[in-house]
Amino acid sequence: MNSPTPKVSGRIPLIEAVGLTKHFGADGSVIPVLRDVSLKVYPGEMVAVTGPSGSGKSTLLYILGLLLKPTSGIYRLGGDDVLGLDRTGQADCRRRRLGFVFQSCDLMENSNVFENLEFPLIYAGVSRAERQPRVVAAMERVNLGHRLYHQANLLSGGERQRVAVARALVNRPQVILADEPTGQLDRQNSHMIMDHFEEIVGNGDTAVVVVTHDPDIARRCGRICPMEDGVLHGV
Amino acid sequence: MRLNDLLRISVRQVFRHRRRYWGVVLAIALGVAGFITVVTMGSDVKKNFNQKLDLIGGVTIIRAYFDSEQDRTARRLWFQPRTVAALQNLPGVQEASLVGFRPVGAVRHKQQHHFMAVAVDENFWSVRSFWARHGALFSREAVLHRERVCALGSSLARKIYGHDQVAGLSLEIEHDNYLVTGVVGGLADSGLADFAFVPLTTAQDRFTGQTLADRVYVRCRTWDDVAAVAEAIPKTVQAHQGADHLMVHVSWDALRHVQKVAFWLEFLVYLGVFATLTLGGVGIWVVMMAAVRSRTREIGLKKAMGAEDRDILAQFLTESLCLSLGSALLGIGLGRLLVEGTSGWIGIRPSEELFLTCLGLGLLFALAAGVGAGLYPSVQASRMEVVAATRYE
Ligand SMILES: Nc1ncnc2c1ncn2[C@@H]1O[C@H](COP(=O)(O)OP(=O)(O)O)[C@@H](O)[C@H]1O
Ligand SMILES: [Mg+2]
Repeated sequence: MNSPTPKVSGRIPLIEAVGLTKHFGADGSVIPVLRDVSLKVYPGEMVAVTGPSGSGKSTLLYILGLLLKPTSGIYRLGGDDVLGLDRTGQADCRRRRLGFVFQSCDLMENSNVFENLEFPLIYAGVSRAERQPRVVAAMERVNLGHRLYHQANLLSGGERQRVAVARALVNRPQVILADEPTGQLDRQNSHMIMDHFEEIVGNGDTAVVVVTHDPDIARRCGRICPMEDGVLHGV
Repeated sequence: MRLNDLLRISVRQVFRHRRRYWGVVLAIALGVAGFITVVTMGSDVKKNFNQKLDLIGGVTIIRAYFDSEQDRTARRLWFQPRTVAALQNLPGVQEASLVGFRPVGAVRHKQQHHFMAVAVDENFWSVRSFWARHGALFSREAVLHRERVCALGSSLARKIYGHDQVAGLSLEIEHDNYLVTGVVGGLADSGLADFAFVPLTTAQDRFTGQTLADRVYVRCRTWDDVAAVAEAIPKTVQAHQGADHLMVHVSWDALRHVQKVAFWLEFLVYLGVFATLTLGGVGIWVVMMAAVRSRTREIGLKKAMGAEDRDILAQFLTESLCLSLGSALLGIGLGRLLVEGTSGWIGIRPSEELFLTCLGLGLLFALAAGVGAGLYPSVQASRMEVVAATRYE
């Protein structure tokens, strides 16, 4: 909204969601959480989704991350209809094309940093010899090259979140979806995370969608889409 | 997912959560160890018990004798060597011993003593499990060479000598000098403490009149053989020399008692092993179910990182298998130790083949328990919806 969008017309949007709705609750009681949400995100773009708690931001991000099925709507990832894929196809999509950073910066608590970053590579079938350099590269990207063999539960909050970002990066996804990645961090750490995201989209073929309710953080994104009661504005 | 990654991650996971699993590991390990020991050593231990006559009250010994007392007109009867040989060869018979009784007179320091002499063949000591309380029992050779030797019951020894340190002393029996080799032990309930024992051959040579070998002790291999052997004895005797007036005596009450105790002991041991194994099997199931429930977050996270359903399934199943197979291996090691211990204790080497069979069965059980108990929780884990798993823990 405020800053110019680096989208290039004619290119296929990385994310193209049309008319997404999501209802929770079985039989009688239907709670609409997303109402007719449409969104296009192009490569090299960084989009912020803001809004009050309970407005459906996480739900939208889960749907975009193929972690949750929408009730209706169309979702194309790089032009492919990914909602039509079976569970295996979606898993494949998650590990090759999507990187997810959870709100609670989930790490495997009883594993060390290396093991945490190794999982996505294992699931993607990366050979053991190739994993080490990939993990190191991702960790250096978030300036944590020296924390490779630390136990996850001994890291500080900022470090944990940066490890979570590194883990989302490690398979070189096209889209990174981050759910309040700075929610539990101080200003300095928050901006450090945003620096990493900026660097990632800087190459021009990756897109980042960040959910946040911090206006400071949102301003650093190329586009801000406020969400209210299941409706996404400013698309 | 590659197999070596799968194994590495699963073993790591089980090891890191070892405090949650040790109960199950213990149950399976003990069950498998118990199973291996019981099956490998059970029959040997039973055999060993059957050798401990005093422990089982001599129930494996059958007495057969000719009772011609009631019928005064009858000829006195005795067992012929070929009959005894045939009895030796009956299935279930360990050994048989031929014996005769004869009252004798003895002189020591001009003092007359009258007592019963038991004229025994060379198998007697081992058939009855008698041993030397003092000195030695006369040997096989002494019997075969018709030596003038004797062994005394302890109360008889005290009656004659005033004490029972009598080995090496001499005793005049029926006008011949005999060397006393020792005092017989193990006679407590046999009523033979007042008797003297002499070689049957010597008695038949030296004692005036006939020493009739009218008594046979048949020792069965196990208490389970007794009934069949007792039934076969009259037929065998009949076939070789005629069985008129033949009496066959078995301590049926004691035998039934021993068999009952043995049955329950065996039953309890098997029950214990079975219960432990069941506990282990159910334990794996419970532990894996709990693991799936408490690790929903991990499952969701892994799915978000791109794990397919089958990756999750494989991981939980492998964890379950690691747990069960690891425990079984522990149990096999423990079982081997127990088998070595028992075989050292009873002095019988177990059959290596039987041990290997048990080892295989133990692993098979572990495999079945691991897959059987791990499958349902693993399928549940793999079907879990990602968001449900990551959001609502
Ligand atoms: N699995 C679910 N079942 C029922 N209601 C849900 C579920 N997940 C989310 N909701 C509801 O949907 C609404 C939006 O949730 P969410 O997307 O987490 O909001 P936000 O991330 O913007 O705070 C909330 O009212 C929440 O209670
Ligand atoms: Mg949220």
